Amino acid sequence: MAERGKFKCLRCGHEYEDKYTPGVPQERACPKCGSNSVRRIEEKK
Amino acid sequence: MMDVGRHPRIKLLAYSEIEHVSGFIGNFNVKVRKKARYVDENDCTACGDCVVDCPVIVPDEYQQGLSSRKAIYIQLPQAVPSAYLIDMDHCLGNNPIACGKCQEACEKKCINFDMEDEILELEVGTIIVATGNEVYDPTELDEFGYRSFENVITSMEFERLICAGGPTEGHFVRPTDHQRPIRIGFIQCVGSRSDNRGNPYCSNICCMNTIKDTLLLNDHYPDTESKVFYIDIRAFGKGFEDMFKRSKEAGVKYIRGIPGDVWEDPVTKNIFLAVEDTTSGKVEVHELDLVVLSVGLEPRKDMKHLQQLLTLSSTADGFLLESHPKLKPVDAPTRGIFYAGCVEAPKDVKESVTQASAAAARASIILNAGKVQIEAITAQINTDECNYCGLCAKVCPYHAITAADRKLGIYPEVIQAACAGCGTCGAECPTDAITMRHFTDFQIMAQVDSILDKDNMDKVVAFACNWCSYAGGDLCGTSRLQYPTNVRLIRTMCSGRVDEKFVIHAFKKGAPLVLVSGCHFADCHYINAVTWTQKRVEKLWNKLERLGIRPERLQLEWISAAEGQKFARVMRELEEMRKKVTPEEVAETIKILEREEAKALEKKAGKAKKAEEALQTA
Amino acid sequence: MYGEELRIGVFVCDCGLNIAGTVDCKAVAEYSETLDDVVAVIRNKYTCADPGQNEIKKAIIEHKLNRVVVASCTPKIHEPTFRQCVADAGLNPYLYEMANIREHCSWVHQNEKAKATEKAKELVKSAVARARFLEPQIEAEVPVTKAALVIGGGVAGIQSALDLADAGHQVYLVEKEPSIGGIMAALDKTYPTMDCSI
Repeated sequence: MAERGKFKCLRCGHEYEDKYTPGVPQERACPKCGSNSVRRIEEKK
Repeated sequence: MMDVGRHPRIKLLAYSEIEHVSGFIGNFNVKVRKKARYVDENDCTACGDCVVDCPVIVPDEYQQGLSSRKAIYIQLPQAVPSAYLIDMDHCLGNNPIACGKCQEACEKKCINFDMEDEILELEVGTIIVATGNEVYDPTELDEFGYRSFENVITSMEFERLICAGGPTEGHFVRPTDHQRPIRIGFIQCVGSRSDNRGNPYCSNICCMNTIKDTLLLNDHYPDTESKVFYIDIRAFGKGFEDMFKRSKEAGVKYIRGIPGDVWEDPVTKNIFLAVEDTTSGKVEVHELDLVVLSVGLEPRKDMKHLQQLLTLSSTADGFLLESHPKLKPVDAPTRGIFYAGCVEAPKDVKESVTQASAAAARASIILNAGKVQIEAITAQINTDECNYCGLCAKVCPYHAITAADRKLGIYPEVIQAACAGCGTCGAECPTDAITMRHFTDFQIMAQVDSILDKDNMDKVVAFACNWCSYAGGDLCGTSRLQYPTNVRLIRTMCSGRVDEKFVIHAFKKGAPLVLVSGCHFADCHYINAVTWTQKRVEKLWNKLERLGIRPERLQLEWISAAEGQKFARVMRELEEMRKKVTPEEVAETIKILEREEAKALEKKAGKAKKAEEALQTA
Repeated sequence: MYGEELRIGVFVCDCGLNIAGTVDCKAVAEYSETLDDVVAVIRNKYTCADPGQNEIKKAIIEHKLNRVVVASCTPKIHEPTFRQCVADAGLNPYLYEMANIREHCSWVHQNEKAKATEKAKELVKSAVARARFLEPQIEAEVPVTKAALVIGGGVAGIQSALDLADAGHQVYLVEKEPSIGGIMAALDKTYPTMDCSI
């Protein structure tokens, strides 16, 4: 089921939170610059 | 309908379901389960004697539950095949103590309680999927009171109530008092065009259906006062605007606004609704005898199973995905399969028939040709290198690769006619045992080398899929959108072809920046191959980071064939990013990757040595 | 084909001024001659026109070419044209490669003529690099079972089945419900003709 995760745009560097479903690839676009180079980043614990 | 039953070249398998499909274009094998009717379809004369004595009464689905039928029944009087059947979920059985009355009543003795399901195997060259849609159930929209107030009905129930063959024999009455309603309200877009509940899309048919209903009412009962509550009226087809005009001229009131609240007078059972007329901004209350909810269309809930059998995918709205939304709207992405009707999108009768004829014509092309050419861009497995891991079969969007079995020594095999040539298997194969014809590793690596063997620091290496990103670049050209000269495109059929090692190789050869680009998920020409691209790029980001290489140097972009602007923008952005990569950083990357390669080679050599030693001691 | 000496022909297209207006095609052609394994380079005003195609055919025979690279427009437009062209001259169509120096070069770098020419050269070089590894391919042909399956007996399925059957094909029509007709059979009248649905 959907979880919340942290994402980082590898184009403009913008970091944000969004929903995602583990194991299900999803098309993503950075809300700031529109790039699809969006990577989910693990929370640093 | 009758023509189908009579046609010498149509074999009708009613009350039947598809169990299994295998094969490929020109050569599909299909297993069909023909369910037992318990009444001999050929002998039954549909006399109806059996029904008289049947003691079981259940709601009649065909009449939308507005009347009842027996456990032995015929779906509709004009049914094709014209034969009764027994609904075994409700039948009491043929034990003489329990019942068996129908069997006694049937003079021709065509009722057989021992009948069993039959499995038929068909061989066909092409398949047309015309499984249709479902109608939206408005129960969840409690503001309209569909389940609370009897005089709120759906447009499907309206059809039965006004039909001469319906439960009231065409006497249009309302459910509570069986009196003819005079003041009738239609609420539009029920279950359509809403992001919260129901569906976000326009169901296409409801505006015209309501206009038709108002004209029908006016024709049968000129004293009817119809009111239509709407968001917009979409009367876009041939002759549609004319019908809309006629409806307005007949006195039907069109009120722009969807009621926010609906309630019932407990005594008269009349329906009241409060609505803001958005043209005047005033909230009005209307008293009506009957309210019809103009419900939208939905994909069938049982489609998933058939979709899997035929390896079809759906668009975000749940309807089936076409090979191309404009240029191949009737073709499925799987060759040899075509769509007709609402399975592809909501449509009216005329559009369904148009698409059905188109699908038949498309299918005829294959059948008439008698043979099909398979483009030579397909995958081949080199069994010497294969380690039976089975990943290729797992990632193939077309199920074109047979399963491997290590124990039995069975290698996977590519069914050439089913392979569409995306190359995802080739990119995923961990032992490089797959050769993607015409887009081989050698060919692609040679391009990478050629791009980077001179002035590598100036280059952006970009992998682009044939159908979308490369075509987006073409559109940039035809639109004369200018962008920096430093990008070098490498065309693959699908971004799914881009092997991890191509990207690593590019970095090792000194690429400052690499782009992988493909179709938007919904546009992917290879069903879902693009999702493997995404997974692979994500894996690569992790790998680069682990090795101490900035993941930012690998970029990902989905660019459609129509997004020339986006293509140019991305190229400009990449050029800015490229300028920030220093020669020192690239040199460091090369050092890291060469060290990695040496380590891998050492490991491989060690393994080989161990294997040799083991062989010798044995 | 393996072990055979590579003999690559490069055909540079001006496309009138579409390419030659930005890219120095003469320079691209001269550069192409310096590439390994390239044995013939021919420049044309319009390679896709009949005279241009005839030059390719002639060169394949004269120079015993076993790879052909055309530097012109996008493969989406003329790949089929040139594949047919080389096939006519007896070369396997998969031994043909294209360098897109129009849509991806001259048209998008109109203000950077020198850089565009350099890029065009490199695009040719990259196409030649790929061409070295091209292999002849045979397109497989499979027979077609002369029958069709229509799944669903609503108005669309009925129409498809009737059309196919009338065209002379054997059709299997599979319907889940006890009768065909689908949703349409439950409608009273249908627009725009307002006639009966059954």
